Formats: sequence, C-alpha cells, structure tokens
Amino acid sequence: MVTKTEETQLNQLEIQVDNGGGGAWEYLCLVRNLKIRRSEKVLKHGSSILNDPKKRSALGPDEWTLNEQVAIAAMDCQCLDVAQNCVKALQKKFPGSKRVGSLEALLLESKGLWGEAEEAYSSLLEDNPLDQAIHKRRVAISKALGKPSVAIELLNKYLELFMADHDAWRELAELYLSLQMYKQAAFCYEELILSQPTVPLYHLAYADVLYTIGGVENIISARKYYAATIDLTGGKNTRALLGICLCASAIAQLSKGRNKEDKDATAAPELHSLAAAAVEKEYKQKAPDKLQLISSALRSLKI
Amino acid sequence: MNLGFLVGFFGVLILSHAAYSTIQYRGLLKIMEEEFSRPPINVILELIIGLALCMWAALTFPGKFLSIHPDSDENRAVSLPDNSDFMIFNHRGRLFPPEIEMKF
Repeated sequence: MVTKTEETQLNQLEIQVDNGGGGAWEYLCLVRNLKIRRSEKVLKHGSSILNDPKKRSALGPDEWTLNEQVAIAAMDCQCLDVAQNCVKALQKKFPGSKRVGSLEALLLESKGLWGEAEEAYSSLLEDNPLDQAIHKRRVAISKALGKPSVAIELLNKYLELFMADHDAWRELAELYLSLQMYKQAAFCYEELILSQPTVPLYHLAYADVLYTIGGVENIISARKYYAATIDLTGGKNTRALLGICLCASAIAQLSKGRNKEDKDATAAPELHSLAAAAVEKEYKQKAPDKLQLISSALRSLKI
Repeated sequence: MNLGFLVGFFGVLILSHAAYSTIQYRGLLKIMEEEFSRPPINVILELIIGLALCMWAALTFPGKFLSIHPDSDENRAVSLPDNSDFMIFNHRGRLFPPEIEMKF
C-alpha cells in the first residue's frame, strides 16, 4: 500500500532524476521497495548506473540486485538485448541459482516463447514444488496467452495451498472481473477485506463490484463500504465520495415503488448531502474550471 | 537542536542537584533525630523548574514528530502496489522499445 508521503517522495525523486540531478540509486531503491511498475525510468537510470564502471563498483553487493531490477524492466520495455546481458552477468556470478533460473524463464516469456518458458517452469517446479513465485508465473503465462479460464483454474489450485497470499486473491478478483463473473469477484474482495481490513482500496473495489451487480440490498451494502473507504482515507478519496452520491440516486430510483417506512429506513439524507458538498469542495480546490460540470451532474442525480 | 540539548542538559543537572540536596537534608535530619516528611521548599521549587526544562527539551530536541493516524493526510493509502508477480509482457508498450545503449 503506497501512502501519500511515499507517493510525493517518489514523484519528487523522479522529477529530480529526470532533470539530471543525482539520486538515481535512491529512486531505484524506492521503486523496488514500493513494488511499483515504472519500467522505462528504471531501465534508463539503472542502465546509466550499470554502464558507468565507477558507479557500478560504488554499489558493492547491491550491483546484482540492480542487475535483476534492470533485467526485469528491460523485459517489460522489450529491450531484450539489455535483458540478455544482465541475465548473463548474473549467471556468471551466481551459477546454478534458482533465482537466476526463474529470471531466465522470465526472459523466455518476454521473448514470446511460451512453450519453452512453461517447460523451464515445470523443471524448476520439480526441484522445489512449493515455490510460490513459479506457480504465479504459470498463471501469468495463461493470462498472457489469453486463456483467463485456465489462469483462474491454476490460481484456484494455488490458493488452496497458499490461502494467505493477498496478491493472488487480488489477481483472481481482477480475472473474474475481466470475465464479468461479479459474484466470484465479490467473494475474492471479501477475502481480502477479511485479511487486511485497514486497506481502504479493497473496500472501494468491493463497493464498486456490489454497485455493479445491482439490486437495492447490494447498493445499500455498497454505500456502507464507500462510507468505510471515506472513513479509512480521511475523506480524501474522491471516488468513494462520488460512489455515495451515485448510490443515493440509485436507491432513490429503485425504491420508488416501496412504502414510506422502507424508504425512510434506507435513506440517509445527511450522508448524501455531506458527500455531495465534499465532492464540490474537492473540485473547487483541485479543478475549479470543472466545478460547473460536477455541480450540475450532482443536481441531476438528486432527482 | 543545540538549544534543546543545552536546556535538557541543564534540566538534568538541576534535577540531580535537587536529589543531592534531598539526600543531604535527610542526613541532617538523622543527626537532629527528626522525621523526614518532605524535602524543603527550595528543593521542591528546584524540582518543578527541572521538570519544566526537561519536558521542554524532550519535546523540542527530537525534531519533527510523525503522524500516527492511518487516515491522516500523510499516511492515507493512495494506491496499491502493482501486482508484479503476475506481470505480463505482451502489452502494447512492447512495440515501442526505448533506445538504450549498453557498454556492459
């Protein structure tokens, strides 16, 4: 989970490094710790460090971590010769290592040789059948080949063994969403919320899925989870605020035929008006020229 | 940093001086065979001054305090890490590889 201070620090470092000021190594370490995917910048600055033999020796043993990071970034940007060089350097330094073996298989994947990559992963799995990263790469291969159902099956089998892996649950939820299997995706998000209840973005995604499924009960639950997200982010998440406004209008529309008591129980007029006011305040601060649009949109939602 | 350190140093000195005076006072009372109920007024005044100085130094010397609320503006979650375990490489970006020269 990336916090606001980390994000501002990352952006500042990125601007600084792009404009030629120092700090490339801090930037690369920050990207590695936060596990963010900024492959082009990592490739550019990482290879500039590796090309300079003085800076390379100044790193000491961290040089090999940098090699691995640059190799993966190069594979992501399709600079396969850079990736090949890094992997060869790592192979020379650490012959017979499992980590370098999985990097080689990753290189095969990026070249598009899915068959060879699958074979390489199976042989690596024979030596250590409980390696989490390799199971996940097999799922990624099926995803890349455009077979989401195979990927879902593999991921389900993986999750039976490693139920606590929240990255895998996230991936499974996104795969289900891509196939429009919303109820299963909602189940995955419920698992995520159970294991990590303090991460507001899982509540937000769950509320989105519930709102998509539709029906008055689901939209009332969605409103609760949007409210939980607002609570956990200190009111700064615009998407959750807009979610509450949309839920309000959806509930009002869907419960038109009900009698008055039911309607009063589900309506929450203070919540709706406060959320609308908060949205307008955010827009006034951050995008004042679009304030007109959002005010008229919110007014039309009230009807 | 310097002022806080100095103030803290003086605060600790004053407190230890107060402790020493109290011990001496107790010794004096033992000689005069009286009971020890509380230290004399000036020692109590010294203790209060030492307390104030040490508290001020403890709050200013360490520097900026960090927020501990998970929903404060600095600590709130902005985004989740990109799931790099399941990263795939056949996206549209592979058609535009950047020009990188290598000498290693």
